Amino acid sequence: MIRDSHTKNTALRTIVRRLASLLLCLFVWTLPAGAAPLPVDEAFTLQVHEAPDGGLAFQWKIAPGYYLYREHIEAKTADGGAPLPLETGSGIAKDDPNFGTTEIYYASAEATLSAPGDAPIALTYQGCQEDGICYRPETRVIDPLTLAVTAQGGLVAPKLSLWTPAPTDTTADPATDRATETTGAAPAFELAEDPGLIPSLMARGGVILVLAAFPLFGLLLAFTPCVFPMYPIMAGALAREGERLTPRRGFVLSSLYVLGLASAFALLGAAAGWSGQNLQMVLQSPWMAGVLALLFAVLALSMFGLYELQLPARWTNALSRGTGQGAGSKRAAVVLGFSSALIVGPCVTAPLAGALLYIAQTADVTLGAAALFGLGIGKGIPLIVFSTLGGGVLPRAGAWMDTVKQVFGFGFLATAIWMAAPLLPAGLELFLWAALLIGFGTYAFVHWPVERSGGVVVRTASLLALLYGAVLTVGAAAGSNDPLKPLAVFAGGSAAGTSAPPLVFAPTGSTEAFQAQLASARGQDRPTMIYFTADWCVTCYTIERSVLPAPDVKQALSGFQLVKADVSDIDAANTELMAQLKVAGPPTMIFFDEGGKEIAGARLVGDINRQTLTAAADLAKER
Amino acid sequence: MITRRNLLAGSAAGIAASAAAFTLLPAALQAQGMPTVKEVLFDPEIPVLGNPKGDVTIAEFFDYQCPYCKKAHPDLMEVVKADGNIRLVMKDWPIFGAPSFHAATMALAAQKSGAYPTAVAALMATDGRLSLEEINTALRGAGLDPTALQAAHDKKPDWINGILRRNDAQAEAFRFGGTPSYIVGTRIYNGVMDKKALLSAIADARKG
Repeated sequence: MIRDSHTKNTALRTIVRRLASLLLCLFVWTLPAGAAPLPVDEAFTLQVHEAPDGGLAFQWKIAPGYYLYREHIEAKTADGGAPLPLETGSGIAKDDPNFGTTEIYYASAEATLSAPGDAPIALTYQGCQEDGICYRPETRVIDPLTLAVTAQGGLVAPKLSLWTPAPTDTTADPATDRATETTGAAPAFELAEDPGLIPSLMARGGVILVLAAFPLFGLLLAFTPCVFPMYPIMAGALAREGERLTPRRGFVLSSLYVLGLASAFALLGAAAGWSGQNLQMVLQSPWMAGVLALLFAVLALSMFGLYELQLPARWTNALSRGTGQGAGSKRAAVVLGFSSALIVGPCVTAPLAGALLYIAQTADVTLGAAALFGLGIGKGIPLIVFSTLGGGVLPRAGAWMDTVKQVFGFGFLATAIWMAAPLLPAGLELFLWAALLIGFGTYAFVHWPVERSGGVVVRTASLLALLYGAVLTVGAAAGSNDPLKPLAVFAGGSAAGTSAPPLVFAPTGSTEAFQAQLASARGQDRPTMIYFTADWCVTCYTIERSVLPAPDVKQALSGFQLVKADVSDIDAANTELMAQLKVAGPPTMIFFDEGGKEIAGARLVGDINRQTLTAAADLAKER
Repeated sequence: MITRRNLLAGSAAGIAASAAAFTLLPAALQAQGMPTVKEVLFDPEIPVLGNPKGDVTIAEFFDYQCPYCKKAHPDLMEVVKADGNIRLVMKDWPIFGAPSFHAATMALAAQKSGAYPTAVAALMATDGRLSLEEINTALRGAGLDPTALQAAHDKKPDWINGILRRNDAQAEAFRFGGTPSYIVGTRIYNGVMDKKALLSAIADARKG
């Protein structure tokens, strides 16, 4: 082999030397290697099909970054005769200062000819490479009987040219420049205009709208169990006020508490904005989730009266000293609020993931701090209302206060299960819910005599809890893991969810790899979904366990090329990919159409559930 | 590594490593069909922009309706002006139908009155697609008289038609895919060139 090629080389060199001397007297035109624009047949791949109605359908697959003009698609009889009536779909109106308005096609184009006849047809079309070259009109002759496509005048095979390529200097070569751009500044995919939540809020209403939106998000989050610990903590603080508690004082103390909480959140926001990084990596680590679940369990047991939780005596004393009791309890309220954020903050990161990602994207410290401060205030508003209204009622602590505490205790246990669920083996979550429900049912049944007011309601609720707990136990034993459909495994068709094959994701880790995957999907005319996940992303566990395996999700995602970017270990390649796709962190899902263009409005960030995912997939397919 | 396979692939104009070797052979065999430097860069009927005595020639095959030709034109003119030693030959290659032919004809006809650079500048400054009327309006806006230009052309149609035919044959011979395509010195560049690409192409041309 080596010998063989060596012989060839020598022979060639001899020929070349002789020819070179001959050519020295001729001018030599040089051509950069790997000329930048694609050959026209690669830019616009023409296929001809027989249409169902007996006509002909001409289809072009258009390379990304290239487009065809609608008005330049024409058909004639090949003998130079009459124009044939060609039907084309409407394209995209391209309207920019360099262009004027004209209709063009990206990704694919189709034209149909309803009555082609038997004579050969000359089909002419013309397009451009975006910011590169505008091709001259191309004509192909199509035999309507055999569907064979030939180039007019046999120009397909390129002539060899006297004007020879020189050894190429990469710096001088526009082709190479453009090739680099393809992998760098102008990748073979196109992102949708939608810049994300915060930028779009900013665009619509400026900073004011962002700042107005976040307290609203906070208010919504205030009704998640994560925020519940604030209530007993606040109630405890108010109860200590004893005689002095008035609605006004309740308002002042709870407001200070909420200010403290919001300040802690503001710090988090500032950190997110300052680092531009994904704080989730810390806040969402399984470690953090585990600690928090444990903390909630501890809180719950305290609510059940197993022990009393309070700040160390030294702290409360230090706080109470100084300007007197009143100021002390105010200061204590601020400190309590600030430290409560340590519990509430990480607990809400799952719903908060999106907001944190967007803030990290803006990399704006002030905005981040202000937005999360607003979020904290929003979360605290119901608490302030509660404290103010309850200010006159609360101090008469009695048996009912214990009942409230115990109900909270069950709430905390539920939160603990919810936080720990992604970390637990699949079936265990259901058992825990069952245990909690049965425990609650028993408690309510025993502690609330039927003679008491509302006794019937409480009895009914407790019996329902017992019953559902039993059902969950059965479901868990049978291998179900959906708390809302524990018996689905027994339903006809034996678990529709498990019969369909699981979704298969192809791994990707770099811009180049992903571009190649988009290109191959383009070949198969399939849309693509890329999913960013990581080991440290607890929300992703939930998505992988209960969202992706759901039958409706499988159904919605069928037909997509699925690509998964695991960013557990951050390296240069996947950082680059995330930057290119404007992804701040997992979990993020982005949908691309067949042409590698992101579907606007379909991007999912943060808390992804079955509804949002199927809706996004449907949106992507409608295109 | 020069193999038979590379030689075949070479006809598609790639593979820099073996470029020098693989092209010389077929080039010699095909020499007869190709235009010469004189024909392409020194067509006596096409006016020269920039410095007529410049040491490097840039020829651009272009169309007045090609958006990227027009977008890149200010950069090209700036480079030519700043360098001061470049011959710029605008090779009309109308590929977008009748308006493109009309625009090219009008501009070339303007050279009789010495207004060719004005006509080129006016037409290159237009937006995207053009109608015949838009072309005439642009010319009028630059102080030219489209009717007179048309009359001059109609008197001797073969003159400009000949230029366009030669340009087209050369573009065909070079197997240009479309516009813009450039020749800088004797190197061929397909697709739009930004300032950086032009500067390094000029530098290469001077290196020889």
